[in-house]
Amino acid sequence: MGKNRGELVQGTLDMLILRTLARGPMHGWGIAQQIHQISDDVLRVEEGSLYPALHRMELDGWIDAEWGQSENRRRAKYYRLTARGRKALRQEASHWSELVEAIARVMEAV
Amino acid sequence: MRRIMKRLGALWHRRRLDRDLQDELAFHLAMSEGQTGDPGVACRRLGNVTALKETTRDLWSFAFLESCWHDFRSAMRTLRANPQLTAVAALALGLGLGANTTVFTVVSSALSFDMGVDHVERMVALHPGPGAADLDPAAPSPLDFLDLRKQVRTLGDLAAYRYTAVNVSDGHAPAERLWRVEMTASGWAMVRQKPLLGREFSPRDEAPGATPEVLLSHKLWDSRYGRDASIVGRAIRIDDVEREVIGVMPPGAQFPEDCDLWTPLTVEELTDPAFRNQLTIFGRLAGSTTLAAAQSEVEALAQRRFGAKTNGPLARVRPFLEMIGVYNMRPVLMAMVFAVGFVLLIVCADVANLLLARSAARAREISIRIAIGAGRARIVRQLLIESVLLAAVGGVAGWMVAILGLRWFENMVAQGHVPSWVHFAMNARGFAYLAAISIGAGILFGLAPALDLSKVDVNSAIKDGGHGAAGAARGRRFAGLLVGFQMALCVILLAGAGLMIHSTLNLYNAPMAINPQNILTMRLALPETKYASEESVRAFYRRLKTDLGALPGVSQVALTSNLPLSGWMSFRGELDGAAATKSAELDALVVDRDYFHALGVGLRKGEGFSGGPRPEAIVNRSLAEKFWPGEDPLGKRLRIARRAGRGPWLEVVGVAPELPQDLMRPLERQPLIYLPFDSQPEPSIYVMARTAVPPATLVEAFRHAVENLDRNLPAQNVSALEDRISSSRLNVSSFGRLFSLFAAIALVLASVGLYAVVAHTVSRRTQEIGIRMALGGTRKDIFGLVLKQGMRQVAGGLAAGIPVALVVTRALSRGLVGVSPTDPATYAGVAVVLALAGFLGCALPARRAIRIDPLAALRHE
Repeated sequence: MGKNRGELVQGTLDMLILRTLARGPMHGWGIAQQIHQISDDVLRVEEGSLYPALHRMELDGWIDAEWGQSENRRRAKYYRLTARGRKALRQEASHWSELVEAIARVMEAV
Repeated sequence: MRRIMKRLGALWHRRRLDRDLQDELAFHLAMSEGQTGDPGVACRRLGNVTALKETTRDLWSFAFLESCWHDFRSAMRTLRANPQLTAVAALALGLGLGANTTVFTVVSSALSFDMGVDHVERMVALHPGPGAADLDPAAPSPLDFLDLRKQVRTLGDLAAYRYTAVNVSDGHAPAERLWRVEMTASGWAMVRQKPLLGREFSPRDEAPGATPEVLLSHKLWDSRYGRDASIVGRAIRIDDVEREVIGVMPPGAQFPEDCDLWTPLTVEELTDPAFRNQLTIFGRLAGSTTLAAAQSEVEALAQRRFGAKTNGPLARVRPFLEMIGVYNMRPVLMAMVFAVGFVLLIVCADVANLLLARSAARAREISIRIAIGAGRARIVRQLLIESVLLAAVGGVAGWMVAILGLRWFENMVAQGHVPSWVHFAMNARGFAYLAAISIGAGILFGLAPALDLSKVDVNSAIKDGGHGAAGAARGRRFAGLLVGFQMALCVILLAGAGLMIHSTLNLYNAPMAINPQNILTMRLALPETKYASEESVRAFYRRLKTDLGALPGVSQVALTSNLPLSGWMSFRGELDGAAATKSAELDALVVDRDYFHALGVGLRKGEGFSGGPRPEAIVNRSLAEKFWPGEDPLGKRLRIARRAGRGPWLEVVGVAPELPQDLMRPLERQPLIYLPFDSQPEPSIYVMARTAVPPATLVEAFRHAVENLDRNLPAQNVSALEDRISSSRLNVSSFGRLFSLFAAIALVLASVGLYAVVAHTVSRRTQEIGIRMALGGTRKDIFGLVLKQGMRQVAGGLAAGIPVALVVTRALSRGLVGVSPTDPATYAGVAVVLALAGFLGCALPARRAIRIDPLAALRHE
């Protein structure tokens, strides 16, 4: 159990990325850092799977990308949520809460 | 959709995308490094950057298609690098694919039965059943169209027609003999096509007193009237009745038979009992009715009409298509498709063997690809793309072969009667078939070598330098199996060809009992309208015989209803004293008294027709032996049903020798009656003249003689008897020639396959053979060794092929003349031919083996 600590539940990476981008445009590194910090260092995004996921969502039109200046004045690729992405986030979020409630009910049952 | 568009866009900016990805990851690494202060840790956390890039890049591109494109280009390179192998394989494949496409195009076209009627397979024809023979010969047919039309429930669109030859004359061209269909208006309701010009028949045209009308076929409109649209509304003479042309049908319309023109059947004709017996009744199964239901209803109606006790049913309801000759040849046509398919399989096996032989040389290349990470599926895919590409090159060659093949086919059958729906042109369906079999063949011959190569043992293959690659033993065993399979297919084809050759020989060698040389024949048909009385028919032919007999070079003129080997007439009749047959189906010819003399045949017994007032008949020996065994047939009596009744008793005045009439069964003895023309003057008859000069020189004189007597009467098919017989034989034997061609190609290809495999083994075993010779093996031993290896496959092929052939060749039985599909002599011949071909295939490499110099062989690497 301890070994898996911090690994993301399968299929939640997209949702977390979208939720993070809902606060405003961000680059890949920043997305990974925010997820890490907001979850109080519990969740750690596998960096190798972050970029394929970003590019897949870009192809699907959930997010847009654009080059900009980072905090330390470097060229960075910023991702921004699109209308389709917002819709996808709502769907994923509601699906997720259903799942959590269902698991909770099973766990609470005697 | 959005993805595809974005990917298409990405195709143009590939380099920019790569740079962007590079920058993005560099930024990430820089940030990561800034946080941890250790570039190594940063790199490790990001993982395998190359793999990451590749995965991401694949998202943006058509990865599968692109790698296929890559394989395709490398396949092109491989094919170009081996021009000889490519050329040989493409040529063999082109022959196989082209021959298949040719046969498929012809057969699918022949079996389409596109008569311009929807759901032609639901159409049925009504025939009198075997029980009808027990009825009074003079009674009307148990199937009466008008009754049936009123009562039958299981059949819709009930219609009737009569198919006859008529004489057509008008101001346009010389009189012509053409085929006419007289059909009820109900028959027209089934026809999909509408007239190109004018209108079609309507029920009004059946009414008594309707104006006589005619519809022209497109081919007649084209050939006789030069596509003159003003013909509609004009009158032409058909059997000396003026009929108004009401329309022209579009090209290809032919229903219910291949005819030149159509006229309506009127109620007057439908109510004439003699006429009714000549009608063919047909209809369409109503709703979801089965053939059996229609059969039992029609039978019940026929029984109610007669109420007589009969042996067997009075009526038979059969699929309409059965009346068409091609329909009955289906098994033979399908056999052709299979035969040519076997040829393609043999070609595929040969090409597979070629590729297998090459796979040893390619093992090294493949091993390197596997070593640097190509998966097995990827290797198989690459090799399959290569073989499909090879097949596609073969397909292009095949296309050209098919075009030539179809032209050849068309020329071959040009003389015979071809239904109008048969087209000898490459169509979309044939092209789709060619494409499908090309790809199928590519996968078929490519799969085994591809699977074989993908299993290659990387380590030993790379170390070996591609010489004794592992898996080669398995490849050789597989090659051996392929050759055995080829041999088995060959056996089947050879058996089919052998049977057909045997059958053709029978056809040509059958005793004709006559000398067909120097006999000129022509067909005449006097229209009933102009020559209504028997006397007028007799008078016409009497004058014609006198005129023809007076021509220089003509030595004897005779009349007959059927020429030798060209069929007969059927009558119902009875024979005096023959207990078992009160009424029988009798085969007869109507001939005049000069017939036997003109053929140069003497009667066995009796004097022949005396021409006296007493009704007479001549029978052949088979008939006498069948009905009056051990008795003297002279003086016996028989009679034939005539249109008007039973007909008078005829006295047998002569016994003729066997003169074969059945082209397809010339070896069987057929009981025949010869009726005198004088008492049975058939208006349609062949005139036959023995000449002292070459018959071709008299053709024009014959035409003139007919024209002098009746300007509107066409002289049909004026040709020498010898030519007629050889052209009808040619038609029957054309399947055999085609089959023999396929079998010959198959035999050559299979022997080449055997040769290649044995030669390959010999070259691999050079060292071993050298050692054997060095140790004292004689040349005989070595020869035997190599021969044994090859002949094992021939024996295996024979053992596997013969039982299959015995079953498969049954399909041919309809096309065979006087030979059983299990004819032992044919099978013995097949075994000998195959063994000889196999021996040749092995003997050449075996000769090379015994010439091996032991010293050189031992140094051989």
